Amino acid sequence: MQKLTLKGRTIVEGHCKGKALVSEKPLSFLGGVDPSDGKITEKNHDLCGKCIKNKILCFPHGHGSTVGSYVIYSLTKKGLAPKAIINQTADPVVVVGAIIADIPMIDQIDIKQIKTGDTIEVDACKGIAKILKDKKS
Amino acid sequence: MHLTKDEEHIFDGERGWANQICMKILVRLGELFKAQKLIPIDSAHISGVSYKTLGDAPIEFLQALADAGGRTRVKATLNPQSLDPKYLLTRLPKAITNKQLTILKQFDKMGVTQSLTCTPYYLVKPEHSSHLAWAESSAVIYANSVLGACTNREGGPSALAAAIIGKTPDYGMHVSENRRPNISVNVETKLQDETEFGALGILLGRILADKIPVIQGLENASESDLKQLSAALGSTGMTNMFHLIQDSHQIKKEKLQKINVETQDIKRTIESLTTASTQKPDLIFIGCPHCSRNELAKIACLAQGKKIKPQAELWVCTSRHVKQQAAADVEKIEGSGGHVLTDVCTIVSWTEMLGIKTIMTNSAKTAHYAPTLSKAETILAPLTECLKTAFQG
Repeated sequence: MQKLTLKGRTIVEGHCKGKALVSEKPLSFLGGVDPSDGKITEKNHDLCGKCIKNKILCFPHGHGSTVGSYVIYSLTKKGLAPKAIINQTADPVVVVGAIIADIPMIDQIDIKQIKTGDTIEVDACKGIAKILKDKKS
Repeated sequence: MHLTKDEEHIFDGERGWANQICMKILVRLGELFKAQKLIPIDSAHISGVSYKTLGDAPIEFLQALADAGGRTRVKATLNPQSLDPKYLLTRLPKAITNKQLTILKQFDKMGVTQSLTCTPYYLVKPEHSSHLAWAESSAVIYANSVLGACTNREGGPSALAAAIIGKTPDYGMHVSENRRPNISVNVETKLQDETEFGALGILLGRILADKIPVIQGLENASESDLKQLSAALGSTGMTNMFHLIQDSHQIKKEKLQKINVETQDIKRTIESLTTASTQKPDLIFIGCPHCSRNELAKIACLAQGKKIKPQAELWVCTSRHVKQQAAADVEKIEGSGGHVLTDVCTIVSWTEMLGIKTIMTNSAKTAHYAPTLSKAETILAPLTECLKTAFQG
């Protein structure tokens, strides 16, 4: 299988490997993610009920209240945060959240190339996401 | 983005974690919005204070920042909290009031003034053309449009970061080209009271998205009217500024897209913001945004010698600063049985916990938010009608 490398932009530096959790919909961390268990609770969201803990969380961009940034920090302190965040277009709420929680983050990535369950290596210093193993293989 | 040597040192952590994290927030946001540099600010106004809207999540971060030595470098003020220090403090559960106190303590430790108001411009009026980092959309629009200062619509965390660094990224409303109007609004009807100005804001917010309007036909507007317009505009849209014009010549020259607002549009908007079927509200609320001295004087004048109806409750919300300056007016309002509350408003407080199911207000912003944020039905009407409903006889 050919490894696919996607090149984007560094938002928060860092390096990690993990399983992708991919959404087609914007995500609000305030009211959309339960800070007590890391599960997505936003109604009508394609990831509703899924846990973001230790995942490479891929979604187009954030939306909603700027308090969402603090929710990302709080998730990290409880060990419930994603390992990395990949966005199509970064927005202020998620960017500030990733900075204060120190979660590796890149944007300007075509997240449609990534499927939930893919093994991804994120080198946020270089702004790169590598798909190491897709879900089927 | 170009950083000075000093800014680079802070970014690299030479002045500790608190300053580093704040610098990172400003630089990354600056890059996101294609700013070239950071610019000094005169003041910051920080939102995200009420425990009701914040919940538990931010407490840890605010504590970490305060403990790591995060201290404000410029004048910084706070948005309202979820209670006032007297009346509501005793009526709400201890568990909640203690959490609110913990949040305030962190801001206090960082050197933020406990202004607890959405009208920081009544404490210190920003200078014309000065640069600010203000959160609270109503104050942002008022500062840009009425006071001629420059501020983007910050979020709670970015305003706090700006307060600690004393700078903000140079983009958006800080750049003069971006402050020009790009749509023209003609208000064909003479607006009669502050509630109609609020309704205009709600209506325009929905249509304009983030466009900057130049509005014609508001020659009679008072500062209170423009405050209502600003607050409502910020509730339904992303517009950060409006211009007023009395002479249609300039608009014709610029050939802007045009919108007309008619009497019917304002009437329909006010009707849509009244959801209650009853005419007997549990609470009559004035003070969104917080009342000015002039507004308190007007209410005091209307309240003098009157008594609140037995089943009704009247809240008049303002800042500690304004209340202190208006002792005689406060006495008159409280003498009638009304409560002059500081630090708070219905949107960020726990009205549903107090059994308040219907709110009557002159504020279009409150009427817009109350059904979702306060689980309350609404009656939107001008001040004079609100007070008529509140008082006997």
